[in-house]
Amino acid sequence: MKKNFLSLLFLFSLLFSPESALALKTVSFIPQWNPQAQFAGYYVAAEKGFYKKHGLDAKILVGGPDHDPVQYLKSGKAQFAPLFLTTALDSRDKGVPLINLAQVVKSSNLMLVAWKDRKIEKIGDLDKKRVSLWGDWLSTAYLGFFRKNAVKPVAVPQFFTVNLFLRKGVDACAAMHYNEFHQILQAGVDPEELTTFHLKNEQFDLPEDGIYCLESTYRKSPADCRAFALASLEGWTYVRQHPAEALDIVMERVKAANVPTNRAHMKWMLETILGTIDEKEPTLSRRTYAETVKLMKRQGLLNRTVPYETFCVEEARDVP
Amino acid sequence: MFRKMGIAWRMALLVLFGAGIIMGSIVGYSYFHARGMLEEEIQQKALYLAQATANRIETVENAVEKMASGLAMSLEYYPASSKIDFYRLLEHMVRENPEISGSAVAFASKKAGTLLPAPYVYRVDGSFARKDLGAGGYRYDIWDWYTLPKELKKPIWSEPYFDEGGGNMLMVTYSVPLFDSKGLFEGVVTCDVSLEWLTGFLRTLPIGKTGYATLTSRNGTYIAHPRREFIMRESVFSLAEERGNPALRRLGQRTQRGETGIVPFESLITGKPGWLAFAPIPSTGWSLGVIFPRAEAMAKVMSFTRDELLLGLVGFTLLLLVVLAIARSITQPLRQLDKAVRSLDMTVEVGGKSKPKQLLATGNLEIPEIRGEDEVARLSASFARMRRDLKEYIEKLQAATVARERIESDLRVAETIQRSLIPKDFPKREDFEIRGLLDPAREVGGDFYDFFLADPEHLCLAIGDVSGKGVPTALFMAVTRTFLKAFFREDKNPAASLSRLNDELEAENDSNMFVTLFCAVIDLKTGECRYANGGHNPPVLLRGGSSEFLPKVRGALVGCMKGIAFDEGRLMLKKGDRLFLYTDGVTEAMDKGDVPYGETGMLEALAGLENADCAELLKGVRASIKGFVKEAEQSDDITMLAFRFFP
Repeated sequence: MKKNFLSLLFLFSLLFSPESALALKTVSFIPQWNPQAQFAGYYVAAEKGFYKKHGLDAKILVGGPDHDPVQYLKSGKAQFAPLFLTTALDSRDKGVPLINLAQVVKSSNLMLVAWKDRKIEKIGDLDKKRVSLWGDWLSTAYLGFFRKNAVKPVAVPQFFTVNLFLRKGVDACAAMHYNEFHQILQAGVDPEELTTFHLKNEQFDLPEDGIYCLESTYRKSPADCRAFALASLEGWTYVRQHPAEALDIVMERVKAANVPTNRAHMKWMLETILGTIDEKEPTLSRRTYAETVKLMKRQGLLNRTVPYETFCVEEARDVP
Repeated sequence: MFRKMGIAWRMALLVLFGAGIIMGSIVGYSYFHARGMLEEEIQQKALYLAQATANRIETVENAVEKMASGLAMSLEYYPASSKIDFYRLLEHMVRENPEISGSAVAFASKKAGTLLPAPYVYRVDGSFARKDLGAGGYRYDIWDWYTLPKELKKPIWSEPYFDEGGGNMLMVTYSVPLFDSKGLFEGVVTCDVSLEWLTGFLRTLPIGKTGYATLTSRNGTYIAHPRREFIMRESVFSLAEERGNPALRRLGQRTQRGETGIVPFESLITGKPGWLAFAPIPSTGWSLGVIFPRAEAMAKVMSFTRDELLLGLVGFTLLLLVVLAIARSITQPLRQLDKAVRSLDMTVEVGGKSKPKQLLATGNLEIPEIRGEDEVARLSASFARMRRDLKEYIEKLQAATVARERIESDLRVAETIQRSLIPKDFPKREDFEIRGLLDPAREVGGDFYDFFLADPEHLCLAIGDVSGKGVPTALFMAVTRTFLKAFFREDKNPAASLSRLNDELEAENDSNMFVTLFCAVIDLKTGECRYANGGHNPPVLLRGGSSEFLPKVRGALVGCMKGIAFDEGRLMLKKGDRLFLYTDGVTEAMDKGDVPYGETGMLEALAGLENADCAELLKGVRASIKGFVKEAEQSDDITMLAFRFFP
């Protein structure tokens, strides 16, 4: 009798608690890559209970090279994913109707790293040099950059490592400022040995990680989508305020996934990516959108386009 | 502190101090020398060990390289279309070569975007498994083991990686590119090598308990490290970055350049100093590091030095005992002497003053006899001599003291007699006033004065000075006074009385003493004053403002010669006349320069006391004398008697 009473009490408490487990909506988020500081904001939001606060039971899945986030969204294995603008546009072109909920990384981290001893000091020196680049939509900014500067390097496919560059199999390689560039430094290469080109300084400042979901997901529950974006941005705000704690949280994820990286690298990544994030104004400007579309079209990467208003939700748009 | 110590201890400590410095220098030198030699030896050993281990790893890798290259070479002679059972071929190779944990052949497809089958054979729990790497849409052509040899056009060792398929083992792959006759890339042959054996192998290296070996890849990443969490995560450069240690980064770059060397190095585990010897493994571009902790390497020297110090300490203790024994045997007589002399020092408190114990006096001071002729013996002899002298001196001193005490008691008796003889009560009368003063010297002289009424109308005055000092003088004075009194009672004639006195005193005077004496009889009714003088200073008559000596009358020293006659002087005293009687103590009072006060000084003093009564008169003269002699010691009694008629 007493036991039954207690159970009843428990049920009531669940029913009337505004943040009760029953009221939480379960959603999943799939990062583009292995756990790393690039996703610190999402890990922190989950760890500090920001998603719960917004009524979501958000699971941050373990990403990696074998887990294509677009496929995850398409198949419904995840509802949200961070994607580069070019990736999202490319996916839309291939028939996956993605919608931008917030533009987190507003500035480009892409760069080209070249060996000085291969006589590369300025952009023009890249002509006819072997340059390794990532494929498809990740090469958009680089190709635009080469075209604008009228250089024609020999492109070599680049995948997950910069070992080809380190072993001097190529004269230059693509790199994320927060990741590969530092990996090169951590392989014992001194910055003085390198010539670097930051694409954001070369008028190819394409936005990177935005929070995306399928149009259908958004239509079904716009409130949840908004909540997810808000909680994620709160996560990023917290990261900026408590970088050391954020780094601890990232390292826990890193260890759990057995990612072969180190704290020094994650610290660099966190500090660098924070420099390109504007969590206070997570919007995708109409002009940037238009320019990126134009750039991709010229490179034959896009056939169809959607209006700006269709591509981003109202909160992610800048002043119309 | 040191100064308070005994000689024996001081000597012992000084010897130990000297010996300690010498021993410390020797131990220190041998420590540093041994350390230097050992350091050199350890560095050599570390370097050899690093090189030998690197060679050992290299040997395994070379064997793998040969196998893969051999397979690749033979495959290049077959057209790609040949029907070869690659699985059988690969399995055969893997089985025959225990170093190889897996092997694959991957051909490049001529059609873009497509992949040809890539047969792969690998060990699983002692047997062999087969797998097509290209099956299931898996893109093997994006991994380093495929792209690096393709792009570099030469065989490569991949960076080590964790093989997720095969039990999460640390693996490294050797890939050899295949080229056709035209030099076009055809594919790769790979051999996987598990690095699990390395960890075990490195642990067997003879590098002590806290020493360890590390293996770093071409990129500086740790392949082997006693801290497992470093493996594949940290590199020399990430640690250098995290610890803000640019030297570590430079060291990493040296290892990347394939250098061999030895450097001082702080252990990344314990943080303790040591050495790092490093040698390259040229085939893979790896570097082997051997860390020798300094403390452990130096433990032998340390324990040797500790033993040495311990022995030294025991030696020191023995030395201390020996030195103490010797020093004490040397200082033993000194201590005896000290003890003996110290007993001299013992004092007893008597009435707030400390007086030496009567040790010397009783002759109890025993100076120990010390044989030999060294300094201590001589000192002892000197002490004995000193003791003898002291004893003699003390004896003499005692005798002198007894004599002095006798004299002093004699003087005291004399003083008592003198004081008891002179009248101290001065009558208060209408017809005369009289006042006397006797101020004895330290050694009492023979001064006295006297006055009495022979009958109610006749006052006798006398003042005298007996020769000599002490009791005989006092007694002589007493006799003189007694006689004088008796004679005056019978006959009020001063000259006759003096004459009788002279005869009486002379008769019994064996010691040839004598007395100067002035006496007078005053008729209180008439004022007639008759006087006689036996060799005494003439008294002064003070009348009005004048003062003059009484006219002289014949008379000799009393008590010297029998039958002497004394003349009688007469004068009539008027009302208010004063007589001043005195002894030579007044006129012969000397100041420090031996200048006498004299009659002049006395008369001047008297002149200044015109209207003084008797008491004032005496006081005034006494003060005048004092003012004259100042601090000079009084050598004779000062005696004065003043008389005033009808004051």
